Amino acid sequence: MTQPHPLYIVASPRPRVGKTLVARLLIEFFHASDRPLIGYDLNPREPTLAGRFPHLVWPVDITETLGQMELFDRLIVDNTRTQIVDLGYAPFEQFFGVLDEIGFIPEARRRFIEPIVLFVTDPAPATISTYAALRRRLPGATFVPVHNESVSLVFEKEDFPATRSECSVIHIPRLSPIVRGVIDRPSFSFSAYMTAQPGGPTEVHQWIARIFTAFRDLELRLLMGRLTSSYGGPAPAQQYRDVR
Amino acid sequence: MAKPTVVVVGADKGGVGKTTVARTVLDYFTAHHVPARAFDSESPKGTLKRFHPDVTDIVDATSVSDQMRIFDTLTDASVTVIDVRAGLLSPTLRSLRDIGFLDSVKKGQITFVVFHILGSSIASLNEIEDTAAFTGDASYFLVKNFINNTSFFEWDQATHSSYFKKKDAAAITIPKLNEMAFEQVELASVPFLTFVANKGPKGETANYSFVLRGYVRHWLGNVWGEYDRIKLNDIVATAAPPQQQQQATGASGARVQVVSRS
Repeated sequence: MTQPHPLYIVASPRPRVGKTLVARLLIEFFHASDRPLIGYDLNPREPTLAGRFPHLVWPVDITETLGQMELFDRLIVDNTRTQIVDLGYAPFEQFFGVLDEIGFIPEARRRFIEPIVLFVTDPAPATISTYAALRRRLPGATFVPVHNESVSLVFEKEDFPATRSECSVIHIPRLSPIVRGVIDRPSFSFSAYMTAQPGGPTEVHQWIARIFTAFRDLELRLLMGRLTSSYGGPAPAQQYRDVR
Repeated sequence: MAKPTVVVVGADKGGVGKTTVARTVLDYFTAHHVPARAFDSESPKGTLKRFHPDVTDIVDATSVSDQMRIFDTLTDASVTVIDVRAGLLSPTLRSLRDIGFLDSVKKGQITFVVFHILGSSIASLNEIEDTAAFTGDASYFLVKNFINNTSFFEWDQATHSSYFKKKDAAAITIPKLNEMAFEQVELASVPFLTFVANKGPKGETANYSFVLRGYVRHWLGNVWGEYDRIKLNDIVATAAPPQQQQQATGASGARVQVVSRS
């Protein structure tokens, strides 16, 4: 069975909820295990992720058609690497509008690319309704909510139902302000820190380990879901219909 | 098919997108397996022929010999699409009356469809008056073509509505297509359907942008949604032989079928 390559889209309609942090953690998680990957930074005014990983992440402005071609024409042909999109809140609507209009998701699935939307949540009613609308609009994508405890301590599971029950939510634990200052340094690398201090008992170590474990768990659950489908279990498409 | 069908696409004004509409109509018939031929009256150099060379002949609609080429060869087996050169819609309709074509339409021997492409000015509304005398027995459609971002009569909605109501004509809206996508199809010189299927003029695999193909597929789906709404396929009423085909679906739900050509 050919395993699809994941395309992670880290998204939220709101600013400053930790999208770039989640994208950064994902990149370091995959990079640490030497897996081929490429990232796209869709924050044209402030391409922080591209600045941090200049050899792995490309800044793209999708305001114009040329930028859309630069992004989507690459995403659709690249089924050999894990792809990560850090979707800024400004191009949020346009990104999903184009994605839907050009029929990206069904074609991506046909080409063994699995779109996974890591939706960074917050308790605003507009965000909750946007999440629901997006799921209805893109039934072929896998939605996994991400709860960043630095944004809100409360997470209502019913507000952000995952596409698959086994991939319910990824929690990003809250960090103390001092430690937060450390990880925000341009030179700080999560994977390098873990390598330099394996098993260390620091707050950062536990924080990274918990998130990397959640990513690994998500990968495993997605794989199990695909295997279940291929062996006659409920197909993902059926599951999408069930939740709609 | 019970009787031959003639589809005239025209306007008295230039630059309103007649040929674009004619191209979408030909693509629609291709997708519905309706055998169609086309005449491009933009003599001597026809744009429609550039996109649909296999089914298109260039004619001078004002010459008797070319009129014979078109109307003496109508058969039950096909639809004839005529892309009328700018400024010649009314004269062409007059010619059709003079040669007895409109009488045959009146007697039910020929199905006659007119797509009247409107420009953005009040002059276009007056054109409707001019053509009305010839289209009484036709399936007559007023086409607002937004493909080049035209705005229609917003400054005088009452006048606009009165014309549409008076003529009891159905309106078709051609939505805007992304400029770069439109430009790339122009450069490729292939039918919209062929562009969507990522094929070149000779059926070879091309390398068009996935994004631009997506825009064209979505747009074409919406245009065909309009043709489905006016029941164009029922008007030409043909039986469709099965062919190998792929299906895609536009956002409107209209089918965009990509016909495989070997």
